[in-house]
Amino acid sequence: MSNIDTIKNFVVTEFLPGTAADELSADHDLLNDGVIDSLGVLKLIAWVEDRFEIAIGDTDLNPDNFRSVAAIEAFITESRRTADA
Amino acid sequence: MTGPAPGSAQTPRGSAADPAGLGIVAGFLTQVRTRPDATALVLDAAETSYRELYELARQESGRLACLDLAPGVPVGVLADKSPGAVALVLACLLVRRPVMLPSPALADALLADLFAQAGCTHVLAPGGEPARVGPNAAVAAKPLPAEEAADVAFMLTTSGSTSLPKIVPLSTDAVDRFTQWAGPAFGIGPGRTVLNYAPLNFDLCLLDVWTSLARGASVVLVDPALAAHGHHLSELILRHRVQVVQAVPMAFGLLREAADRSGDHFLSVEHVMFTGDAIPDRTLAALPVLFPEARFHNIYGCTETNDSFIHEVDTRAASLGAVPIGRPLPGVRALVLDPDTNTVVEGTGSGELFVSTPFQALGYLDRARHAGKFTSHPLDLDDRRWFRTGDLVRRDAAGNLHLTGRTDFQVKVRGVAVNTAEIERVLLAHPGVLEAGVAALPDPIAGKALVACVQRAPGSALTGLELRKHCAQRLPRAAVPHRLTLTDAPLPKSANGKVDRNAVAPLAQLSSTTTPVAAPLTEGTAS
Repeated sequence: MSNIDTIKNFVVTEFLPGTAADELSADHDLLNDGVIDSLGVLKLIAWVEDRFEIAIGDTDLNPDNFRSVAAIEAFITESRRTADA
Repeated sequence: MTGPAPGSAQTPRGSAADPAGLGIVAGFLTQVRTRPDATALVLDAAETSYRELYELARQESGRLACLDLAPGVPVGVLADKSPGAVALVLACLLVRRPVMLPSPALADALLADLFAQAGCTHVLAPGGEPARVGPNAAVAAKPLPAEEAADVAFMLTTSGSTSLPKIVPLSTDAVDRFTQWAGPAFGIGPGRTVLNYAPLNFDLCLLDVWTSLARGASVVLVDPALAAHGHHLSELILRHRVQVVQAVPMAFGLLREAADRSGDHFLSVEHVMFTGDAIPDRTLAALPVLFPEARFHNIYGCTETNDSFIHEVDTRAASLGAVPIGRPLPGVRALVLDPDTNTVVEGTGSGELFVSTPFQALGYLDRARHAGKFTSHPLDLDDRRWFRTGDLVRRDAAGNLHLTGRTDFQVKVRGVAVNTAEIERVLLAHPGVLEAGVAALPDPIAGKALVACVQRAPGSALTGLELRKHCAQRLPRAAVPHRLTLTDAPLPKSANGKVDRNAVAPLAQLSSTTTPVAAPLTEGTAS
């Protein structure tokens, strides 16, 4: 499963129970329509740290990193690249 | 037009030695003149001195002057919290330009209507940048009478119990009277550091931002985007040795969770004020450990009247029961009206709370929305303007008031008042919705979580995602239900044929299992 699908499945399971994962587009703004609120972001961060084994510091807490499935994916990829460097 | 410059011959009322009598503008200018290098604002690692803040505000007032507006015409300000945003609002206060300050988290269409209704011809962002929304030209302004408009300092919005928030104009005198109370009450002055948790459009900022700036304290601004991070809040309080913390109970819950992990406690804090919602027992019990040197105050108020009641919690008491809202602030009148007998309750007893405060608005901008809120004395016993809070209270033998409920469908979500009946109205406005019920369930962090159940119209393929978008465009963020449950079956009804909200809640909880089920269709599709 691609990261995009993994993230989509988590978001749907956790925040949109019942919604088909296909219905959620990768660029859907999750913050703007309240799918994920600021408390939800915390839950998401904890999951990303655990699932993708990356440490997220306070400086990475910019909500834009978690605005959409695509943004989360980009953030994970970038974090891993930085960690490997 | 500009305000009096620091160092000019013009002396504000009172003196630097006794700033208690000064309002926001005169108090701030006194600080600029006498303590220009003192820190006014802290955001992230950046500090802004009183001199720098004044310079920023002066540039903004120059831009305001270029707009060439008639006196009393408000400007809209749409800005996330920043020193630039504080400077822009300050500039409006300096040049006596009413400033309309709604939540930037509201949907653009809602903001455009609000700015238009307020009579704003311009919506500004800091630094002369364009704001993302202008006033909606199709919506008629409902301006105040000119002589009243000229006295307005802030135009705030009710925190979101309605689909179009009500605009609350607060006069310069009203907010100045408030800062004159709040400053001495919590020792806010030079050398003191105050945490500002609330977003800039909240009435709470009249205390933690504007009283602080009027009296020479330093304000540590919490970025609203990071306000749910307990660890971040904890770091701010420790790093900046904050002495005064005012926030909704949720913030203290987040701090407690962070401290549970880190073992931190906050020795610098002397005053803790929680407000906006009932504080959970668990959070309350942790406060004396978190803040070993602090005094604790429960503050009760609303946007329309500002703060009206306060209760200092005695943490040495053997058991901390439910916290009362306590007693009226100096100058505040309060009465409890028994709804059954329509008489004023003297001594112990229960009823609806009416307040009349020195800090209150004269009314909503739209006077058509006064009915039942801003009223005369319910028994016509005086000439004051009273505000009907909608809160049911009980007065105990010691004279303290306790909140017991609401007369309407208002609930608090993270300290923000939302009205479940209004949310139902918004859900029902969608053509794909036949019936809707909204309930508030207890939530350990947010206080209350909103759950909605919706019966779809026959043949509708409405999805949860689509309905969520519909809500987000029409409701303040806090009023968008946490969980939306869609079903094609009729919702449970009470005996009188109305949707039974008590029965709706378990239906929504049922759907919180992650397995999609046929009925109800959770956030689901027709397939």
